[in-house]
Amino acid sequence: MTDQAKAPVESTIDKVNKTLARRYRAEKRFRLYGMLSIGFGLLALVVLFTDIISKGKGAFLQSYIQLEVTYDSDVLGVYDVNDEDQMALANFEGVVKQALRNRFPEVSSRKDKKELYQLASLGAAFELRKQLTADPQLLGKTETLWLLADDDIDTYYKTIGGEEFIGATSDKQRAWTKSLVDADEIELKFNINFFTRGDSREPELAGIWGAAKGSFFTLLITLVLSFPIGVAAAIYLEEFAPKNKWTDLIEVNINNLAAVPSIIFGLLGLAVFINFFHTPRSTPIVAGLVLTLMTLPTIIISSRAAIKAVPPSIRQAAMGMGASPMQVVLHHVLPLAMPGMLTGSIIGMAQALGESAPLLMIGLVAFVVDVPGAINDPATVLPVQIYLWADSPERAFVEKTSAAIMVLLAFLIAMNTLAVFLRKRLERRW
Amino acid sequence: MTSIATEQAGEMLISKTERTESQVVRDIEHGETVGEPLMEDAKMSVRNTDVFYGDKQAIFGVDLDIGKNQVIAMIGPSGCGKSTFLRCLNRMNDTVEGCRVSGELTLDGSDIYSKKMDVVALRARIGMVFQKPNPFPKSIYDNVAYGPRLHGLASRRGELDEIVENSLRRASLWDEVKDRLHSPGTGLSGGQQQRLCIARAIAVSPEVILMDEPCSALDPIATARIEELIAELRENYTIAIVTHSMQQAARVSQRTAYFHLGHLVEVNDTEKVFTSPEHELTEAYITGRFG
Repeated sequence: MTDQAKAPVESTIDKVNKTLARRYRAEKRFRLYGMLSIGFGLLALVVLFTDIISKGKGAFLQSYIQLEVTYDSDVLGVYDVNDEDQMALANFEGVVKQALRNRFPEVSSRKDKKELYQLASLGAAFELRKQLTADPQLLGKTETLWLLADDDIDTYYKTIGGEEFIGATSDKQRAWTKSLVDADEIELKFNINFFTRGDSREPELAGIWGAAKGSFFTLLITLVLSFPIGVAAAIYLEEFAPKNKWTDLIEVNINNLAAVPSIIFGLLGLAVFINFFHTPRSTPIVAGLVLTLMTLPTIIISSRAAIKAVPPSIRQAAMGMGASPMQVVLHHVLPLAMPGMLTGSIIGMAQALGESAPLLMIGLVAFVVDVPGAINDPATVLPVQIYLWADSPERAFVEKTSAAIMVLLAFLIAMNTLAVFLRKRLERRW
Repeated sequence: MTSIATEQAGEMLISKTERTESQVVRDIEHGETVGEPLMEDAKMSVRNTDVFYGDKQAIFGVDLDIGKNQVIAMIGPSGCGKSTFLRCLNRMNDTVEGCRVSGELTLDGSDIYSKKMDVVALRARIGMVFQKPNPFPKSIYDNVAYGPRLHGLASRRGELDEIVENSLRRASLWDEVKDRLHSPGTGLSGGQQQRLCIARAIAVSPEVILMDEPCSALDPIATARIEELIAELRENYTIAIVTHSMQQAARVSQRTAYFHLGHLVEVNDTEKVFTSPEHELTEAYITGRFG
């Protein structure tokens, strides 16, 4: 009797032990799967970042050539620096050309001279104009200056010592570059142009500032419009709207809107804002309006979730104290839901920042040289700038594209960090 | 021998319970409340009140008076409608989707549910303390000051400080929190939180305080303090308390109302209800035969 009674007890423990071992194995396996997928994700991220950084880091440095420049009145055609007409017509390119001829006196044929002049960028002449305007005393004097090199020379110089990239450079241009290298008269300096200028056909003059400012204005409009509208809609739907089939229909539609391809919003913006309301095209204001439409569903959905997460006991306590529904919302629900709302909104903003498809439809793909100064100036935005540069034939735009991606990523990381910071800051503990 | 005696007692118990259950059906049909539900000079009176949640009726024709400066306890098994009834008294049921209240409910003779009655003003006169302590995630001071600020009761900062101190003193919480008025109210213990909620309720000097199982989430020591507090508060306020604990009802209340399946079965002086209940259902409940 006792044996029989005892035997099943032992076997139960054995069975449990067997399944235990199996359970632990399954758990280990599951952990391994998780680690593998995270590892894969991290690897992809590392590959992406390495690729972008290795390609783009060159864009932060630009080649400059050291030349003896004479601000020759006869070459410039300027005898009085204060005379605006003379300055407007001044031949600064001639001064650069003269400096190059002086540096390489052996060049004589017309064809060779033309090739020689291509060593310096158009930007060199702009720089000289700036210098002379700032300091009129320079007229007639000779100075040793570092002038911006052409993008082909820049690309070639950056690849010397490795796999040389010849591109459009001629044998002679490469020889001149080598001689400049030997004389230490060409070097890489920090590329300030990249951070201060707008777009340009010349890669060495192209900068990200115009697109960054365009993105800033666009996001400003998107934020100013979509946050209040989204939060108001979420509060109304959660706290005040009666629960019936109409509100159900609205909810389904909002969820659907969040999944609509963004280019559709671009078409809508083109039809409504540009063709019907005649909003100026290619401007941050129309881009902001379109991105507002695109971001609203995201903000409404995340705000509603944040409002739902506020415990009902707080609402009851406030109502029991005699607060009106509006006061319950303003005093209690909104402050408690704010971290969630802000996080959702910033994620929506980050999405809007990276959006290019709808903006192509409303003209932000235009080639804009000037840095926009206001919301109704023609502009482009960071992702579209990346698209435009990726599309350009010049080799030097490859590194510019990657550098622009780095700037965009920096913006995104900054915004997401802000989201985390705000959430931590505003969260109240129970 | 002993086992036979137990069996006999068990049979007797069963037969008694069966009788009670048939009684329930009859009671629902008749819907008469035994005892003394009505009284002279009542603070609040409820007449012929029905409450519906959608199609489902939760309260059936209740008549009840709540006396001034008295504690009335509402007891009864779970789901009997006592909390629903309590929430009708300050119109907290307004916010519940599909809830409908009919009948005549008055506070000092004026109709609570009339169009002229402002809910905000009503809730300033009838405060409420909930089952689970629910302080706002603000400082202790701001919790108590919330009501006075909301209703503009204090014109100066000093006046507000006074109200906060008095309310906390009356809720016998002052000595424990006076040095940390500006730390969060949610950092207090459960019992302290509930006393904070009581302080918050009395800060607007209501005339009636409704308490919905205020001690169900608290340990016996905290419960005892809240009960002492209720006894003190009775001098100035009219209190209606819903409780699951019959000992608590016996300790704190002067009158007791027994609810069963949405019907008000018996109302009498607490002493009478717990010593010689008039109704069989009441007796069955307080002696623990069901509920």
